[in-house]
Amino acid sequence: MSISHRRSFVIAAALATALALPSVPSAQGLPPGEYKIGFMTENTGPIASAGVSFWNGAQLAIDEVKSRAYMGKGTSIVLQTKESGSEAARSIQNMNQFIADRSILAVTCCILSPVVGSVKPVVLEAKMPLVIYGATAVGLPSPPWVYSMTILPGPKDIETGLTVASEIKAKTAAYILANDNEAFRNRLNDTRTALEAKGVRTAGVVNVLTKDTDFTAAATQAMGLKPDVIFIYATQSAAVGAVNSLRDRGFKQTIVGNDVLAPETVFKRMGQTAVGVPFPVSFSSALAESAEGKAFIAAYEARFKSTPDIYSAQGYQAIWFIAQGLKSISGTPTRASLAEALSKITSFEHNVYGGEIMKNGQAQTTGTLIVNWSPDGKLVRWTAPKN
Amino acid sequence: MSLFLEQLINGIALGSLYALFGLGFGLVFSTLGILNAAHGCYASWAAIAAFYFAQWFQLPFVAAVAVGIGAGGLLALLVDRIAFQPLRDRGHEMLGALITSIAFWIILDNLAGLATGQQSLTFPRGTYPNHLFRIGDIPVSAMQLITIVSMIVVTVGLHLLIARSRFGSAMRAVGWNPNAAALSGVDPARTMVVIAFLAGATSGFAGVLGGVMTANVSYSLGESLMLKGFAAVVVGGYNDVRGTALAGVALGILEVMTSQYLSSGLRDGITYALLLGFLLLRPRGLFGSAGYSRA
Repeated sequence: MSISHRRSFVIAAALATALALPSVPSAQGLPPGEYKIGFMTENTGPIASAGVSFWNGAQLAIDEVKSRAYMGKGTSIVLQTKESGSEAARSIQNMNQFIADRSILAVTCCILSPVVGSVKPVVLEAKMPLVIYGATAVGLPSPPWVYSMTILPGPKDIETGLTVASEIKAKTAAYILANDNEAFRNRLNDTRTALEAKGVRTAGVVNVLTKDTDFTAAATQAMGLKPDVIFIYATQSAAVGAVNSLRDRGFKQTIVGNDVLAPETVFKRMGQTAVGVPFPVSFSSALAESAEGKAFIAAYEARFKSTPDIYSAQGYQAIWFIAQGLKSISGTPTRASLAEALSKITSFEHNVYGGEIMKNGQAQTTGTLIVNWSPDGKLVRWTAPKN
Repeated sequence: MSLFLEQLINGIALGSLYALFGLGFGLVFSTLGILNAAHGCYASWAAIAAFYFAQWFQLPFVAAVAVGIGAGGLLALLVDRIAFQPLRDRGHEMLGALITSIAFWIILDNLAGLATGQQSLTFPRGTYPNHLFRIGDIPVSAMQLITIVSMIVVTVGLHLLIARSRFGSAMRAVGWNPNAAALSGVDPARTMVVIAFLAGATSGFAGVLGGVMTANVSYSLGESLMLKGFAAVVVGGYNDVRGTALAGVALGILEVMTSQYLSSGLRDGITYALLLGFLLLRPRGLFGSAGYSRA
């Protein structure tokens, strides 16, 4: 090898080493910088009231992750937002745009299970990590690419149904169901099966549609079944409408709602009609006991001048989950390395529930809090009415 | 039997809302020739205005309703002047107006979402009559009675206005041919302004009553009334308010009874099958004149 060849080889080797250096995993964790996450907002459309809560919780988490240097000094998450209006077609379009932007490492989205169902094949095909923040159907997660930070209401519905039916000694139950929502259909069937196994006869199921606005006829139909208790499995607007109509028509027995009645805006909307209607919650700003939960509530109230609800908590936890995954990566993260990091998470370093685990890509909490609105608009633990 | 009667009253009350909304919608269609897709927004905005005025100024129910009616009328007037009058001046036909109205529908719907903070609002209890009367075993709410009576009063009033008054003759003349009407001494511009206001006010009335009755004041309020109101106009006949009123009530009853005795899943399907049937077999509707041209 001549001298000039040897010099060229040394220069080439030095250049190659210099170029290769940044991609060698650093033992010091995540390099400083901004890491982009796609966030599909649902701040317009039929469930925008919940969408705003998810979005607020996520924004708070973003700020905390940065200010606490949780992922390392000089690191932060930046959210790239696209509005879906809870529409499947717009969600798919947004997802394709997120996928096309190679700087986006993961996406978090979706309140409605059918919308998740439509974007899931897209992210699996493109190998884009997806963290669901709101959809409640069972079986949506698909690690290492798809995770759900929604605390599934199904098991809590069953426990609530059994507890309430036992406390009020119910012998018959009627159900008002938003029949065009598969998740609610499944939740109703699970609760109904559990109640029937305990001897609570089903008087009937009254079907309504999510987009309905008048529930007078449905309330009349349900009351005509003469049940001891009426369970409502419907989205927020429909559930509020059904409870209002039942009370307006003079139904005095127990009505059991679901977690959609938990946000503070529901009490503002329903007023005293909401009082005494039991429903399960995984998070309540009035009943949170953990230090992290209380800190979250205080920070949220200071920033948004309203109290956080379960949706805010889930939006918040979705970002913290992604941050925990990013934090565990050494070197420049990629979609694949983030997916792998997320798949290794089984417990949460930061959570507002006072206990949350990740099992097969699905976040879970233990215990069921059965609450109802008090006359002064506070969530309190439910106790059976004294006859 | 009492369940059937109770549901019958529920159906009449619900249908009265459809009818009331349809009266305004049909008025614009039969006289101005506009298939106005934004008409549902007048109902939404009327309810939103009534809600906020009731909250801010502690207005009694009647005053809040009056505010809503006024808001619906003014909004309709505004849209007519901005969107439809320029089209009329240029001689555009129905398609141009329909496309423009779709644009206004989207704009007004989005603004309504912003005005309500994307929430569904509810008139607080105590701000409207919520007494439950009992006729024998059958409970009837005060709002149901108010809605039914309002629909009857508005239908009779509009019918008398159109069929018996001098202004009604002017309305019909303008609807038939504005140029010919002008030649016979009618002021078409003034007549159109009044028609637009009346139509918006009538649908606004339906919006306020619907917002109270269904505990839903949001952009979706008008959307839900829009399709049913349109069906009432088609089934009842474009140029007869009595037909719209009867068809609206019939649709309400059909909807409630389908849910009660068949399935809620079939409810809208049956309504729209009826609509399709009328469009195919009797496009002038139940009460429409045989020679009427809009259909």
